[in-house]
Amino acid sequence: MTTGDAAVRIKGVAHQFGEEGEARYVRALAATSLDVVRGELLCLIGPSGCGKSTLLNVIGGLVTPTRGSVEVAGKAVRGPLPHEIAFVFQESALFPWNTVIENVQLGMLFQGVPKAEHTARAQKSLEAVGLADFAHHYPSQLSGGMRQRAALARALSLETGILLMDEPFGALDEQTRMILGEDLSVLLARAKKTIIFVTHSLGEAVFLADRVAVFSARPGAVKKIIRVDEPHPRRPDFVTSEKFTRLRNELYALLHDEIRKTVSESAP
Amino acid sequence: MTRRAERTQRIGSRAVQAGFLLVLLVLWYLATNRWGVNRLLLPNPVAVWHQFVDVLRSGEYLPDLRVTLTELAVAFVLAVTSGALAGYFVSRTRYAIRVFEPLFAGIYSIPIILFLPLYVLFFGLGPASKIVLGTTIGFFPIVLSTIAGFGGVDRALVTAARSMGASDYQLFRYVLMPAALPVILSGLRLGFTVALLSIIGSETIASLAGLGHHIVELAEGMDMARMFAYIAFVAAIAALLNGAVSLLEARGSRWI
Amino acid sequence: MNAAVQNFLGRHPGVVRLGVVVLILIAWESAARWFIDPLFIAPPSRVVASLGTVLRTPGVPAALRLTFFELAVAFAIAVVIGLTLGLAVGLSPFARRSTMPIILLLYGMPQITILPLFILYFGIGAPSKIAFGVTHGIFPIIVTIVAGVQNLKPILLTSARSMGASRWQILRWVIFPHMVPSFFAGMRLAMTGVLLGVLLAELYVSTAGIGHFTTMFTDSFDPTKLFGLIAMLAAMAIMLNETVRRVEIRFSRWR
Repeated sequence: MTTGDAAVRIKGVAHQFGEEGEARYVRALAATSLDVVRGELLCLIGPSGCGKSTLLNVIGGLVTPTRGSVEVAGKAVRGPLPHEIAFVFQESALFPWNTVIENVQLGMLFQGVPKAEHTARAQKSLEAVGLADFAHHYPSQLSGGMRQRAALARALSLETGILLMDEPFGALDEQTRMILGEDLSVLLARAKKTIIFVTHSLGEAVFLADRVAVFSARPGAVKKIIRVDEPHPRRPDFVTSEKFTRLRNELYALLHDEIRKTVSESAP
Repeated sequence: MTRRAERTQRIGSRAVQAGFLLVLLVLWYLATNRWGVNRLLLPNPVAVWHQFVDVLRSGEYLPDLRVTLTELAVAFVLAVTSGALAGYFVSRTRYAIRVFEPLFAGIYSIPIILFLPLYVLFFGLGPASKIVLGTTIGFFPIVLSTIAGFGGVDRALVTAARSMGASDYQLFRYVLMPAALPVILSGLRLGFTVALLSIIGSETIASLAGLGHHIVELAEGMDMARMFAYIAFVAAIAALLNGAVSLLEARGSRWI
Repeated sequence: MNAAVQNFLGRHPGVVRLGVVVLILIAWESAARWFIDPLFIAPPSRVVASLGTVLRTPGVPAALRLTFFELAVAFAIAVVIGLTLGLAVGLSPFARRSTMPIILLLYGMPQITILPLFILYFGIGAPSKIAFGVTHGIFPIIVTIVAGVQNLKPILLTSARSMGASRWQILRWVIFPHMVPSFFAGMRLAMTGVLLGVLLAELYVSTAGIGHFTTMFTDSFDPTKLFGLIAMLAAMAIMLNETVRRVEIRFSRWR
């Protein structure tokens, strides 16, 4: 299924919340096996509730799956791996009482980076995401897009090999998403990390990913994996190319029925 | 948390609550019966219980209860009328809100109980001074919540109603009132609670009748057991009244 | 009213508010002077004029100082106890579930009913006033702090955990800074409670505090001096409330 060594091996991971018969019982994820190639950007896309965020949390060691296991860099995942994996969440996980740069430095404190290196690394990541001028602002003073840039800077400063991003641009308007997507592509071409990226947006998936794993409706399982053979950094005009449209249409065809299934299930 | 851990915690916390009550009662009993704590300080719990039953049975609380409830009823009606009207008229314009709201909030931040001696001077030791105190204290949460309630109505709703041709009355009855009601009702509940507390308080401090006054009488007569019983009784009445008002608040949102 | 004046007033509601206050004072002044028996109400002009006399009444300055002392001590004790209990209960889900109902029950009780009991136990001096103030002050702090711990966004804890934070680091860098505004809000409410408790006790019985003098001025039918004294106490209350409020704002800047 893959070429190159696997940064992350997902082996038969399935997860459910609660027990059968309980009111809150839900089978979030059906048995999923997947290898994530080192250095690739893998997108997880699927209808709401298909378990892609759950899978991300399992990979990151935040949730222990009810079945199956995950291996990261050869080690079994049993809890958070702050030295291997950094997260960017959808809602702002910046600490509101700290400035932007303090937030970045705090992440390094948690990870265990020696204090002397904090300021330099923080400055570097803030420059990389374009927030160097806002280092001493509070999150409440920033727009949604800038907050997510700050969250990304914090994740980058941890210098992990793997980055897990859970719909990081989900709460932003389309134009901001577009810009952030382009900037992300440029950034990641330089940084050479393995990235697993959850999104709802078809265009975003095609634009950013090397491979796109399409999930079925709940309980989610990988329906198909699509390759996007296009070098990074992706040129902005890739979006208007024929290849992009073809891939996007393929995604749409795969997803449309799953989305319909999900909507009809949740209708009152 | 797993289901079992959840259940253990729930049982455990109930156990702590029950245990707390039990330990308290046991300590109380031992303190007065075995450890020789002065009966003049802490009455025998059994005696308190008997006094409590006697208070209920003899009905001696009735005249005082009548006085307190009358004072409360009058004060609350006055507070609601003045507070709701004032609040409504202030809320009609943004400017009026900006002028008056800080004024009301500022006065409310002073402990208005301070004015009790003045009210006693002016109105005497009878029910009138208690009513005036209850009204003036109850007025503020009501006027502030009325302003907040009407002032906080989503302008989009008002615009939509007007665009459909709603008259002033229709706007008030079908848009403003339902939108503002939850906030106003919580203000009414708060106003009721503070009015009740201030009335009992003023009866304790300077009065010739009423529930608060009766407790003071019992204290001065050093009738400890009966005083404890009366305190429990008054606390129960207060809890009942507040509970009733909370219930009305919850139901009230559904009437309009 | 010409346009310029209207414009000015429009942008400065504070001026209009001042005008309203002045109108009320004028109404009060005229009512007290010409319409109502001077035995019951005093015009503000005379109240202000007699403030000096009030302060020269033997025992009044000492009484004001004593009351301030009672307030300060009660506040300090309430904050220390309230903060300790609040954190102890808030940080442990089990403690919260078991003890919060008890705390809320006590908080909801009309404490005024046990004021005579406090006097019997602690005497008619300062200790009973302080004790009564403390019992009014601790509950708002506990409730505010417990609520503060509970409204910490879970994503912040998750994020810290994912970055490898230890339990101590989470306490120090996530929970504690989050709690600071709640703590100061609780302090503000505690001040209100302490003011109420101490003043209630003073008005009930007092031999050397201001309660003694309010009784004295009431019994001698001296509304002028009575109002002057009350005004001074109100000013003290406002000052204390305002101080705590300013401190709260200063420490909640990131909000």
